[in-house]
Amino acid sequence: MKTEAIPYTNKNMRRNPFREGGWGGRVLLWIFLLATALLILFPIVVTLFGSFMSNAELTTGGAILPSVWHFENFAEAWVQANFSRFTWNSLMLSGVTTIGTLIVASMAAYVVDRMNFPGKALFVAIQASTMFISIGAVVIRPQYELMIKLHLHTSLWGVILILISGHAYIFFILLSFLKGISRELDEAARIDGCSNAGIFWKIILPLLRPGLGVGALFTFCGAWNEYLRPLVFTMNTPELQTLTVGLSYLRYGASAAVQTHYMLAGACLSILPLLIVYMIANKSFMQMTAGSLKG
Amino acid sequence: MNKVRQIGFSYAFLFPSFILTLVLGIYPLGWAIRYMFYDYKGYGEAKFTGFYNFQRLLRDTQYWESVVNTFVYAGGKLIITIPLCLALAVILNQKLKGRNFLRAIYFMPTIISSAVMAVVFFIIFNSYNGILNQYLMKFNIISERIDWLGPKHAMMTTILIAVWGAVGNYMLLFLAGLQNIPNDVYESASLDGANKRQQFWYLTIPMLGPVLQIVIMLAIINSLKGYETIMVLTEGGPIGKTEVMYLYVYKLFFPTPSSGTVVDQQFGYGSAVGFTTAVIVGIITLLYHMLSKRLNKMQ
Repeated sequence: MKTEAIPYTNKNMRRNPFREGGWGGRVLLWIFLLATALLILFPIVVTLFGSFMSNAELTTGGAILPSVWHFENFAEAWVQANFSRFTWNSLMLSGVTTIGTLIVASMAAYVVDRMNFPGKALFVAIQASTMFISIGAVVIRPQYELMIKLHLHTSLWGVILILISGHAYIFFILLSFLKGISRELDEAARIDGCSNAGIFWKIILPLLRPGLGVGALFTFCGAWNEYLRPLVFTMNTPELQTLTVGLSYLRYGASAAVQTHYMLAGACLSILPLLIVYMIANKSFMQMTAGSLKG
Repeated sequence: MNKVRQIGFSYAFLFPSFILTLVLGIYPLGWAIRYMFYDYKGYGEAKFTGFYNFQRLLRDTQYWESVVNTFVYAGGKLIITIPLCLALAVILNQKLKGRNFLRAIYFMPTIISSAVMAVVFFIIFNSYNGILNQYLMKFNIISERIDWLGPKHAMMTTILIAVWGAVGNYMLLFLAGLQNIPNDVYESASLDGANKRQQFWYLTIPMLGPVLQIVIMLAIINSLKGYETIMVLTEGGPIGKTEVMYLYVYKLFFPTPSSGTVVDQQFGYGSAVGFTTAVIVGIITLLYHMLSKRLNKMQ
């Protein structure tokens, strides 16, 4: 009797496609994976294709691909809806913020990793705490008042300074990269008579390039996608709006209903540059997020 | 002498970072802590009122409704996101054709601005001429338009959108954790006859434990904090159904004509609300931390 049990289960297993490793399980697995991928891609596909549709087709058509490709949507959004201005503002905001953040964070990370000075632990603790304590939009108000005093509230420089001040995360990224750079190199340079600043400039920064790359990617994306601060700071200066802010104004504008195609063209302008960079370097993007606070 | 120079050099290099953090990071916190004891509207005199703002807060049903909404929002987001991301991570941790491609797709929403996508989602979900309703009606799945952003469904819709934006991030964090589990553990387990399901429950989950706890903690904090998407998509409406804590705080500082009953900017009261909200988030984080510690001990 015992010997019969084994062939029975074997036969049963061969018949059941949902047993482990069977084709049924694989099919279910792929349906799950592809359905999830489809849902994730859907809004992005809508943005890309919808930006070429006419407003009428978008609001009544129920189509996926545009019947006629309206390339002029982009030209009109660029000129009439002022997206040329928004794009330039976004570029300038993100570019300067990235450079500033990298300079400030790498200098701080260098001395924290390689030097000894009183107050180091306190400094690191303050940096860490700024990443976690959040009282929401409250802080924007005193920041805004400060910028009024500095006469920076009518330019993007106020926003840029505020964004650079949030460099704690980049600081910690660079710190971890610095720990991987051998100290023997700076010791050798020091013996050769190189100054501290010289070591930072000539030895540390070139070796820190991978870390700076990840930091730049992260900062640029963050600044490019930043919404709240540009929104608040450009309430009285619409010519300073960035892509995110300009777009959200379209959504609440009086003529929103007839501008759906502009909105999607604008959304494309905002997400396409990042998507293109992402396609080239998605490994670096994913590398930086293991530990990020976004989501 | 050398030491003094090193310290001087250090402070000089630290200066930009320190001054920016101090002036734009720490000072605003101090500002808020001061004004939460004041009646201050941003203009005119700031009047010291002691704990009045907090008494007012206790009676502010609009705020407590937003707290409840936040819990529903965060809870809904977590209940879907965590299992989904864990499943995706476990699957994509195996040798699978196209797994890098799939990872890249799932991660895509993470790099896109949530404000921009909120505009797109508005175009997709709005009831009158939204794209989703068009599709559903075209394929005869529904016969009447569904009011996705109406009082009945708005919360569910915002939760789904939040999940959409979060999937890639948490999947990746789980993947990072999974990659730290040595392969030979699984090999010896399958030699001992453990099937995939047993391996998942008795190997993957316990060994992923610490990562799981940290990621869930991050997810809790993030979902309690997030309000940008909601702000652009629904502005907390309709009738306050998607109002979350930090959005309410925002409105007290930057009211817009459409932001409902909050019409006057109230910096003093807003500071008190912001501070209280931070404390609520802190308490929940702490509770979760204690709970997961106790669970650890039980094992």
